Amino acid sequence: MAAPNLSHDPLEPLPLIEGTHTDQTINDSLLTHVLRGAGKGWWMLFGCALSMLGLLVIAISWTLYKGIGAWGNNIPVGWAFGIINFVWWIGIGHAGTLISAILLLFQQKWRTSINRFAEAMTLFAVICALLFPLLHTGRPWFAAYWLMPYPSVQRIWPQFKSPLTWDVFAVSTYFTISLLFWFLGLVPDLAALRETTKSKTKRFIYGLFAMGWRGSGRHWAEYKWAYLLLAGLSTPLVLSVHTIVSFDFATSVIPGWHTTIFPPYFVAGAVFSGFAMVMTWMIPARHFLGLKHVVTMKHLENMNKIMLVTGMMVGYGYVMEHFIAWYSGNPYEMGQFFLTRWHGPMRWIFRTMVFCNIVVPQMFWSKRLRTSIPVMWVAAILINIGMWCERFNIVVTSLHRDFLPSSWKDYSPTWVDLSLFIGTIGLFSTLFLLFLKFVPAVAVTEVKELRHELAEHDAVAGETHA
Amino acid sequence: MSCDDNHEARANDRARRSLPMVGAENVAGAETGLTSRPLWRSIEERSLLGAVPGAANEFPGGASEMDGVSRRGFMQLLGVSTAIATVGAACRKPNEKIIPFVRRPEEITPGNALHFATAYALEGYTSGLLVESHEGRPTKIEGNPAHPETIGATTVTEQALILGLYDDDRAKQLRRGGDAIGWQTFLADVKARGGKLTEKGGSGLRFLTGPTTSPLLADLRRRILERFPQAKFVSYAAVAGDGAVEGSKMAFGRPLVPRHHLAPAAVILSLDSDFMADGPEQTRLSREFSARREPSRDMNRLYVIEPALTITGGMADHRLRLRGSDVGALLGSLCAMLSGRGLSALGPVGSLGHGQGSWDPKWLVALCGDLERNRGRSLVIAGRRQPPVVHALAAALNVALGNLGSTVEYGVPITTDATSGAAALGALAEDIAAGSVDTLVVTGENPVYAAPVDYKLAQLLKRVPNVIYHGLYEDETAAICNYFVPAAHVLESWGDGRATDGIVSISQPLIAPLWGGRTEAEVLAAFVGDGDLGTHELLRRYWRGMAKLPGNPVGSFDNVWERWLADGIVPDTGAGAEAGVAINGQALAQAAAPLLARTGSGMEIAFATDPKVFDGRFANNAWLQELAHPITKLTWDNALLISDATAKGLDLETGDIVEVTYRDRTLEAPAMIVPGHVDDAITLPLGYGRTATGHVGRGVGFNANALRTSEAPWFDRGAALSKTGKRFKFAITQDHWTMSPDGRDSPPPAVSAPLAEVLNPGSMFHEELEERRGPQAVIHQPVDYSGQAYKWGMSVDLNKCTGCNACVVACQSENNIASVGKDGVGRGREMQWIRIDRYFSGPVDEPEMINQPLGCVHCETAPCEYVCPVNATVHSDEGLNEMIYNRCIGTRYCSNNCPYKVRRFNFLDYTGDISAARELGMNPEVTVRSRGVMEKCTYCVQRIERARIATRIEGRTIADGELQTACQQGCPTQAIVFGSLNDPNSKVSQLHADTRRYDLLHELGTRPRTAYLARVRNPNPELAKVD
Amino acid sequence: MSGGHEDSGFVARRFVVAEFATPEALLAGTRKVREGGYKDVDTHTPIPIHGLEAALGLGRPKIPAIVLCGAIAGICIAYSMIYFCNVIDFPINIGNRPMHSPPANIPITFELAVLLAGGSSFFGFFTLSGLPKPYHPIFESEQFGRAAIDAFFLSVELPVGADADKALGDVRAAGAASVELVHESER
Repeated sequence: MAAPNLSHDPLEPLPLIEGTHTDQTINDSLLTHVLRGAGKGWWMLFGCALSMLGLLVIAISWTLYKGIGAWGNNIPVGWAFGIINFVWWIGIGHAGTLISAILLLFQQKWRTSINRFAEAMTLFAVICALLFPLLHTGRPWFAAYWLMPYPSVQRIWPQFKSPLTWDVFAVSTYFTISLLFWFLGLVPDLAALRETTKSKTKRFIYGLFAMGWRGSGRHWAEYKWAYLLLAGLSTPLVLSVHTIVSFDFATSVIPGWHTTIFPPYFVAGAVFSGFAMVMTWMIPARHFLGLKHVVTMKHLENMNKIMLVTGMMVGYGYVMEHFIAWYSGNPYEMGQFFLTRWHGPMRWIFRTMVFCNIVVPQMFWSKRLRTSIPVMWVAAILINIGMWCERFNIVVTSLHRDFLPSSWKDYSPTWVDLSLFIGTIGLFSTLFLLFLKFVPAVAVTEVKELRHELAEHDAVAGETHA
Repeated sequence: MSCDDNHEARANDRARRSLPMVGAENVAGAETGLTSRPLWRSIEERSLLGAVPGAANEFPGGASEMDGVSRRGFMQLLGVSTAIATVGAACRKPNEKIIPFVRRPEEITPGNALHFATAYALEGYTSGLLVESHEGRPTKIEGNPAHPETIGATTVTEQALILGLYDDDRAKQLRRGGDAIGWQTFLADVKARGGKLTEKGGSGLRFLTGPTTSPLLADLRRRILERFPQAKFVSYAAVAGDGAVEGSKMAFGRPLVPRHHLAPAAVILSLDSDFMADGPEQTRLSREFSARREPSRDMNRLYVIEPALTITGGMADHRLRLRGSDVGALLGSLCAMLSGRGLSALGPVGSLGHGQGSWDPKWLVALCGDLERNRGRSLVIAGRRQPPVVHALAAALNVALGNLGSTVEYGVPITTDATSGAAALGALAEDIAAGSVDTLVVTGENPVYAAPVDYKLAQLLKRVPNVIYHGLYEDETAAICNYFVPAAHVLESWGDGRATDGIVSISQPLIAPLWGGRTEAEVLAAFVGDGDLGTHELLRRYWRGMAKLPGNPVGSFDNVWERWLADGIVPDTGAGAEAGVAINGQALAQAAAPLLARTGSGMEIAFATDPKVFDGRFANNAWLQELAHPITKLTWDNALLISDATAKGLDLETGDIVEVTYRDRTLEAPAMIVPGHVDDAITLPLGYGRTATGHVGRGVGFNANALRTSEAPWFDRGAALSKTGKRFKFAITQDHWTMSPDGRDSPPPAVSAPLAEVLNPGSMFHEELEERRGPQAVIHQPVDYSGQAYKWGMSVDLNKCTGCNACVVACQSENNIASVGKDGVGRGREMQWIRIDRYFSGPVDEPEMINQPLGCVHCETAPCEYVCPVNATVHSDEGLNEMIYNRCIGTRYCSNNCPYKVRRFNFLDYTGDISAARELGMNPEVTVRSRGVMEKCTYCVQRIERARIATRIEGRTIADGELQTACQQGCPTQAIVFGSLNDPNSKVSQLHADTRRYDLLHELGTRPRTAYLARVRNPNPELAKVD
Repeated sequence: MSGGHEDSGFVARRFVVAEFATPEALLAGTRKVREGGYKDVDTHTPIPIHGLEAALGLGRPKIPAIVLCGAIAGICIAYSMIYFCNVIDFPINIGNRPMHSPPANIPITFELAVLLAGGSSFFGFFTLSGLPKPYHPIFESEQFGRAAIDAFFLSVELPVGADADKALGDVRAAGAASVELVHESER
C-alpha cells in the first residue's frame, strides 16, 4: 500500500492523493458533500446567487420590452456588453473541456480530481454565453430560428459566409458535445451514488440518471472508447470554437478587429481566463467541501503554471497586434493601437488589461507565490477582470474610433447592461451551487482508478528497491 | 357646446369627406361630387345642414369608389380612414378646384403621385414649391423649377413644411376666451365689434401682421381702411432687416431694396451677410454662386466679413473675423482706401474717416485690389443684421464699382410695408399703453415671444379689450388673447404672394384644413363682411379683376387661372429694377460720418437667426430640431457661441452654463466654443426657449429674446459673462472638429486644394487623388455590371456643397425617417440616412471649413453584406446595396463592419407612437421601419422603380437626369448628381471621370459607387497662405 | 430453490454472482470460469480493469467505426447543404464574394462533423450496451450494490435447466470470495 508522500521533500513530487485510502474511503469522502444536507453557508451563497439571477430576469424582460435601446449601444458602437460578455463566458467555458479532454489525451494523471468540476463550469459558462447572441439582436424572436437553414416562406437561406452563422453552429455544437461528454463521465459516479445513498427518493432519482449502470465489463470496454473519442473530438472542437468566435472580429475591416493573429490569441486567452475562473471557484470549493486530499497543492500549482504560460501567449498577442500595426504602416491600424488604445477615452480599461493579464501572472515564476493560496486566488480574480477588459478593448474601443472621425462616438453602458452582466454571474453561480449540491464534484470513479494505478506503481517501485 | 359634440361632428363630417380621396374622379379634384357635397366646418353649420348621415353611409360611397380602384388603393382607403378615426377632421381634398402641376387630371390612377405647384412665403417673399400628393395627401415638397427664386431646389424649412402640416400639436379649435365657438359665431362677434368701431372711424382698431407681399392681403387692407379710416396696420417681423430699405433712403434718398445676381460676379464681398442660407434670395444665390465655382480662371472669389462662422463664411476663400459693430468702420476705411487708390466715383463717401480696427491692413489692400480689377463684375452684400449706414455705403460702393445693373439692381419695395422692424411696433405699444387701442388683430407670428423685451408686449396686450390672434399653435401670444383663430397651414390655404423680383405665385391648398384652420385673408375679410366667402372666392374675385393685365393671354379667366395654378407663377408680374437711381454722395457722407465714428466698449452681444428653426416659428418641427446645426452640429438646442480665446480667458468650456448680463437683464445659457468666432463677443441664436408651443419645441434651448431690445435688435457692446458652475449636456452629432483629432496621419476624408494646384496637372494634388481612385487590388474578380441596363452611381461635389442640410431633410421626408429626440442623438442614435460631415482645418481662430455629405456609398464589395447572417443586406443586379427590412434580425454586424458608418439602427420603437395625422404624411412608397431593424440610404430605390415603370410603359429606358434622388433634388447648389454609370454621356459618368474625383476610403478596396469631387479654394494670390 | 416453473410460463433467469477480493483475482477467476465452458460470463466493477476485455474474450470495440461514420456523414451533410443553398437554390451577390467559396464553408462543415461524430459516440455507446436498463436480475443480489463502490463481481447466467450447484461450485473454485445464486423476479 502507498505510504503518504511528504510534501517537504523537494525531490519527491507533490502527491495527487494525500493520505491512505481505500476505494470505500474515497467513495464516501467524495460523496458526503452530496449526501449530507445543505449547510447554512450553501444556503447563503445560493440566496445571493438567486437574487442576482432575479436581476438577470428583470434585465432580460426590460430588454425585450424596450428593445436594444435599453442598452448603451449606439452607432458606431453597435456591439458592446452583449458581445463582450458572450466572448468572456465562452472563453471561461474553454478550461473545462481543455482540462478533461486534452489532459486526458496527454494521460495527465493530475487531471482526474478537477475535470468533473471544470466540465461543469464549461457547461454553465456556455449557458451564460448562449444568452447573449440571441439577446443582443434587434428582433430575438426571429433571430431564434432564422439562422437555422430551413426552407422558409421568404425562400431565402442563412448567409453561410457570415461568421455569425458559423458561431451558431460552433457554439451549439460545443454545448451539445460538452454536455454529452460530461454526462457520459458522470454515469458510473451516479451508479456509485445510487448505491451509496440511504434515502429511497435519492436512490430512485440517481438510479434514473445512472441508467441502470452495473459496471459490466462488456460496457466498460465500449465505454472507454466512447469517452476517449468524445475527448478526442472535444479537443479540436474547443480550439475551433474560440477560433470561430475570433472570426467575428478577424474577418471584418475594422482596425483592431482585422487581425490574423486572433484565432490562436483568442484560444490562449480563453484557456487563460478559463483556468482563472476554475481557480476562483476551486479554491473555496476544495476548502468547504473537504476535497483537499484529492485537489492538492500539486493541482493548484500546475494550473498556475498553465496560467503563466497562457498569460504570456496572450501577452505575445498584444505585442504582435502592435507590431503588425506598425509594420503595416496602415494609419488606421496605428491610430487604433498606438493612440486610441493607450491614450484614447478608454485608455484605463486597456491599461488595466495590460496589468492584469501580463504583469500579474509573472508572479507565478516564484514557487513561493505559486503555492500561496491567497496569492493565487487574488491573481485568478484579477485575471478574470483583465480578460473582461481585453474583450472590452477589442469590441468597444476598436469600434468607437474607426475610420472617419466624423462618426466617432463615446460609449457608456446603462443599468441594463450592468444588470445583464451581474445577472449572468448569478445564473452561473446558481447552476454551480446546484451542481455542488447534487452531483459529485470530483470524478469518483476516476479517482479510484487513479488510486489503483498509483498503488500498482508503488508496488512496482517497492519491488525494484528490494 | 362641448368638445365631444364637436368631435362627433367632425367624425360625421369625415364620413362624408374622407372617401373621395381615393378614385380617379376625386383626386382630379373635379367639381364633380366634391363641390356638390354639402360642406360645413362648425357646429352651427352642421345644425343648418340638419341630420348628418352617419358613418354607415360611408360604405355605399366606398363601394362605388371601389370600381376601378386597385386593391392597393383600397388598402390605402382603409389605412387612411383608420387614421382619420383619430384625426378629428378628414384628410380630404379641398372642395374648390385645384390644378395639378403637369399631368392632366384624367390621367390620375391611385398609387401614382401627383405634383401641384404652390407657393410659400417666409418673411413675406414667396418661393415656389412643387408638392407631391398621394391620393390627396401631400407627402413631399420640391422646389418649383419654373419659379425664379427656388429654381427647383428647396431650403431646409421648405422641406420641413410637410411635418408642420401634419403636426398633431397644431391649434385645432376656434375659441373665445376658453369657450370653443364656431366660425359663424366669430363672424357675428366681429360684425358687432366692427359696427361699434365704425362709429369712431375705427380709431381703436389695430392690425399687427407679419411682412407680406400678398396682393390679396394688400387689397383687403385697402378695403378695411376704407371702412375704418382711423385703423392702423403694423407689420412686424422679429428678424426683419430694415437696414436695406433705410440704407437706400440714406444712399438714394428713397426706399429701395437691392436684388443681387451672382452669375456675373467674379468677386463677392459679404458684410456679415449669410446670403447662401438666410433671406429670400438664398436658394437662387446659392445656385448662382456654385455655378461659378468650377475650377477655372473665371472662378469667383468670396470674401466674407462676419463675427460668427456661417454657411456662407464656410464657403469663403477669405474670411475676416470681425465684430458686427465694427463692420461699418471697416467699410469706411475700405471706401477711403479705394478712393485713395483712384476710385473717384465714390466722391465724398471716399473721404470718410479711417476707422482703425482689429483687421489686418494687408487683407484690406488685397481686397481693394480685387474689387478694382473687377469693376462691374464685383458685388458688395450687406447682411440683414447690419445698420442702414452699412447698407448705404455698400450701395455706394456697388454704384461706384459699376456693379449697378450687373450684379445688383434696386427696385421699389414690394412688401406692403417697406419696413417691418421694431419702430412701428413701438408706436403700437405706445398706443396700447395710452389705452387708445380697443381691438387688436394679430396675424403676425407670435409677437409676445418675438417682440423686443423692452416693449413688455405680454403685459400690454392684457390691457387691450379685444385681442384676436390668428396662429398655427396655442403659443405665447395665444395664451393672452380673447379670440384665438387656428390658422390654416400653407399647404391647406389659398393665397398669393410675390417673390423678390415681384413675380406673383398663387398658392393652392393640397388638402382641406385638417383641423378647420382659417387663412389670414379670411380673418381680415371678416372686417369687411366677406368672412364666410372663403379664401378661394376672395382670391378669384381679386385676380379676376387683375387678370386683364396687359400681356395675359386672351381667353376666359378660368383658363388663365388654371394656367397660373398649373405653372405656379403668374407671368409678367415681375417688378423690374428702378431706372436712374443715383447716390447722393454729399448727404450720405454727412449722414454716415457720425454713425461710423460711434464706437462702443465691452464684450459684444450679437443675435442671429437660426438655420434650423429660423425665428422660432419652426420650433415644433422635429425634423428641424434634430437637424445638426451646419457649423456646431448641435441638435435640439441653441448655444451661446463664443471663441476659443475668449472662452479660455473666462475659464469656460463647452457645456458650462454662463449668466449673461446685458442692460440690467440676465439670461442663463450654455456656452459652446466654436471655431472662427470673433474674440470678445458672443452670439445668441434666436428661436429657442419657447414656453408655449407643441410638445416637441417646448422648453428646448434658451430664449435669446429675453435680452433683445428695440434699440439693439442685432448687436451691441457691453455684455458681461459669469460662470455659474452648472454644466449642460449638448446632443452633438459630430464630436470632433478636425479630420485627425488624435493626430493620426490618415488620408483626409474631405479633400480641398487651392485653384492653382487644381489647374496644374502635375501638382501634388493630382498625384494624391490619382492614388485615391481607380481599380484596387481585390481577391475576387469584380462583378461585371456592364451588361446591365443601369449601373447606378452618385457623385458629390465638395466644391458646391455649402452644408445647408437641405438634402438631409429632403431624405428624411422622402424616406419616412424617424426622429429620435435629444436623448437619442446624445447617445449617437440619430437616424438621418445622409449626414453632413463638417471638418475644420487650420488654426481654431481662422479655420477653413469643409462639408462632406455622406450617405451609403453602395460599395461594390460591400463589407456590410458578407457579415449579415440572414442575407438581409445584399446586392442588386444594378449594383445597389439593398436592405431587406423584413428579413433583418438586427445583429448590427453590418453597421460595425461599415467603414463609413452610414447605417442606422432602430434601437427603440421610433414609429409606433406617431400620431395618426403624421401617418397621413408618410410616403406610401417607402416601408416604415420597425424596432430592431437596420436601415440606410437606398439611393431612393422607390424613385428608381417608379421611373423604371414609367419608362417601361413608354417602351424606353430612363434618360439621364429624368431620375433624381431626394437629396439631389433638394440641393440648391446641385452638388449631388445621380445616374447610371453605364451611360458614358450621363452627367454622373462625366463627373466620375473628373480630375477632382476621388473615392472615400478608397484604400479599403470597397469600390464605392458614390464618388467625391475635391473642394477648390480660390485664394487671392496676395493673401495665399502657404499650405 | 427451483424457481421458474409457474403456470404463467415465465421462466426466471438465474445468475451465479461471485465476489472477488481484488481485480487480479477477478481476472484470474474470469478466465477459469470461461475455460470451464460457461458462455454468458460478465464482470461488474466500480472501475474499468485492464485486461478484462481479453479475459471476457470480447472482440474489437465497435464505437470507433460508428464515430467515423458519424463524422463523414456530418461533413457530407454540411458541405452539400451550404452548396445547395448558396449555389443551386438561391445564388445571390453578397458583397462581390463568389457563390461557392470553400474557405467560408470550412467552419460549419467541421462543426457539423464533430457534432454528429460526438453524438454517434454517445448514443452509439448506450445502444450497444443496451442502456438505459432500469432493471436487471443481478440487482436482486444484496451484495451487488457494492459493485459500484469498491467490490469486484463476476456473474454467470445459467442456461435453462443447467445445474446451479455445479455452477456455484465451479465459480467458488475459480477463487471467488463469496458466491450466491440470483433469480430474476417476476413483475
